[in-house]
Amino acid sequence: MTRLRAAAALALAAPLALAACGGEDDGTVTLRYAFWDDPQRPALEAMIDAFGEDHPDIRIELEQTPWDEYWPGLDSQFAGEAAPDVFWNHVSRFPAYASSGVLLPLTDRIEESGLGTAAYPEDLYASWQFEGDQYGLPKDWDSIAMVYRIDALEAAGIDPSEIDDLEWNPVDGGTYVEFLQKLTVDANGENALSPDFDPENVVQYGAAMASSTGQTDWWNYAVQNGCELQNEPWGDYAVDAPECVEAIQFTADLYNRWGVAVPAEVTNQPNGSLASEQVTAGAAATALDGSWTLGVYRDGLEPGTWAVADNPSGPAGSGTVINGLSNAVYAGTEHPDEAWEFVEFLGSEQAQAIAADLGSVWPGVSSLNGRFADYWAGQGVDVSGFQTAAEGTTTEYPLSLDDAAFSTAALDEFNQVWLGDKDAQAAADAVVAIANE
Amino acid sequence: MARLGTRYPSSTVNALNPVVDPARRTRRDRSTATAYALLAPSLVGFAVFLVLPIAAVFALSLFEWNLLTDPEFVGLRNYRDLAEDERALKSIGNTFYYVLLNIPIQTVLALLLALVLNSKIKGRNVFRVIYVLPWMAMPVALGVIWRWVFDPVNGGLNRFLDLFGVDGASWLNDTAWAMPVVASVNVWQYTGYTMLFFLAGLQAIPAELYEAADVDGASRTHRFFAITLPLLRPAMLFVLVTSVIGSFQVFDTIHVMTAGGPAGSTATLNYQIYLESFTQRSAGYGSMLAVVLFAVIAAITLLQVLLFRKRTVYDFS
Repeated sequence: MTRLRAAAALALAAPLALAACGGEDDGTVTLRYAFWDDPQRPALEAMIDAFGEDHPDIRIELEQTPWDEYWPGLDSQFAGEAAPDVFWNHVSRFPAYASSGVLLPLTDRIEESGLGTAAYPEDLYASWQFEGDQYGLPKDWDSIAMVYRIDALEAAGIDPSEIDDLEWNPVDGGTYVEFLQKLTVDANGENALSPDFDPENVVQYGAAMASSTGQTDWWNYAVQNGCELQNEPWGDYAVDAPECVEAIQFTADLYNRWGVAVPAEVTNQPNGSLASEQVTAGAAATALDGSWTLGVYRDGLEPGTWAVADNPSGPAGSGTVINGLSNAVYAGTEHPDEAWEFVEFLGSEQAQAIAADLGSVWPGVSSLNGRFADYWAGQGVDVSGFQTAAEGTTTEYPLSLDDAAFSTAALDEFNQVWLGDKDAQAAADAVVAIANE
Repeated sequence: MARLGTRYPSSTVNALNPVVDPARRTRRDRSTATAYALLAPSLVGFAVFLVLPIAAVFALSLFEWNLLTDPEFVGLRNYRDLAEDERALKSIGNTFYYVLLNIPIQTVLALLLALVLNSKIKGRNVFRVIYVLPWMAMPVALGVIWRWVFDPVNGGLNRFLDLFGVDGASWLNDTAWAMPVVASVNVWQYTGYTMLFFLAGLQAIPAELYEAADVDGASRTHRFFAITLPLLRPAMLFVLVTSVIGSFQVFDTIHVMTAGGPAGSTATLNYQIYLESFTQRSAGYGSMLAVVLFAVIAAITLLQVLLFRKRTVYDFS
């Protein structure tokens, strides 16, 4: 069957191969390094420069593709046996990749190099293991916290000290919804609690929500409501359970019942506007957003006008989604030694300190967390909300060999719920039926 | 009676039964070799970029393949699964809906434009260029711009409608509106291009026919239906065949504007092929859908050619 695959790959990739002929003969090796998050480019370039100082014979070429295109692109490059030598990997894709042999096992190289893997949090390091082998080194970790505009809170007369103790419930919305109502303001300056409020003419919404997966919207409410996305790791999807449906309904309520979120017509993914765009444009006051987007807020808002707070709590307490990325090596790379050298460097304290000092992402190397926080303290932003979140109750990306069926169905179905076109239970049932097939 | 398109010059017929002397044969062999040598680059391109991938798609439609591991032969299972795949069946319906929205309006508009721009109006060359411009621009870039125009809150269209107190829909997020909106963007983009073929067809109609009609006292309408339209048939056949094929294969506008949503309402068959092959990693199943799309297009094209051939018979006697 290997011959078959080669034939199929050859037939499909022949045009690519023809187009990509060429090599180097001056003794230098060029590695392709693929990633998706453009705001992290400056940090990557700084790390590559540092790597180049000690490795003049290895050139690194960055290849950036947005998230939605990244995976189809990577998959077809695996099929064509022309994938990037080193690339960002994501937990949701890891099982499919590790089980199909497209990732280079790093276990032996890690042992030989004497790399101190204790530098990484144990869970984070272990999340890149599959059947006894290690397939990547942690690049970073991330969690979700509430980013808010201080000026919006001041205008609404809200004391920032209340913001860390907000609570929601599915019945009357709780203090969290009340907080968002105060921040939802119409053209006449009336907020959503006022009897004169005009919902047709909102100039600022309390919150913006936009997520291709659920990571920065309903999964957070789900974990705060005691919902488990899967009945066990690697198990069946269980988003049709009552706690999950309630959280999905609550998210829909923020759009449609309470009217405190930027309408789903604007923010539904994959083609809609991002939450950070809505907040920086002044169209929303808050967003539950990932630590990796902090740079977008820094670049889009004046210093001192925004801050980070804890997530709200739900009926089951506080909670958030945590995740992390790794740098992985393509099993078919022509330069496994050089690729490993690069990945080892990217996983090192030296490299991750560069990213931390630029405020790019929370580093995979635990001892550097302080340097990331220090960078943001220097910008006037206390980012400890992300750490508080990560230390509490957390959930992670579902683990499955076929993540695509779930993620596609979930986005498609829940987008309709956010638009108010579909019932939460019906959508959850449909997702589970497709994902567990 | 002359039958357009089936008459060959008599020399061609003779060339099929030549009497060849040996010296002439070597000369011809040499020139054949030269011809093949000159053709080789484009033939290689044709084989590598077209024949090989097409053959691969047919073969892959009999396999299950996740792009990452070896394909597994499953025979006709993908084809059998199609019968119960609501998404895919719906995407076939969506495709026909899109084609029906797109083709009639685009063709009639293009013909009207061509008629206007074929008459002697001032600045017609400028207009010709203007109408072709959308076709020259990148569909992806245009899709992004149109997405802004149709943005329900900040988009240009709804702000414009607001001036008249009209509440615009949330166009691209409305299952009823999304497809008409996407189709209208493509009509806008390709009408000018289609017009070019009608213009060429109009200019090929001999002026004497109109002069004769004038002598006979035919009305403008009569002239259009008795002369212009019948003599545009070859152009019409070309336009319909190519634009219907293009319409069945629409991808870029949909990918950029709606990504097949909301609720799969703009997922055409070609878009479903992309979703299955690349986001769902079911390349075998996607290939099967591609074969189905090929069969649908081939059948419809054949139908068009047959219909036109039956009627493209003129009596000039």
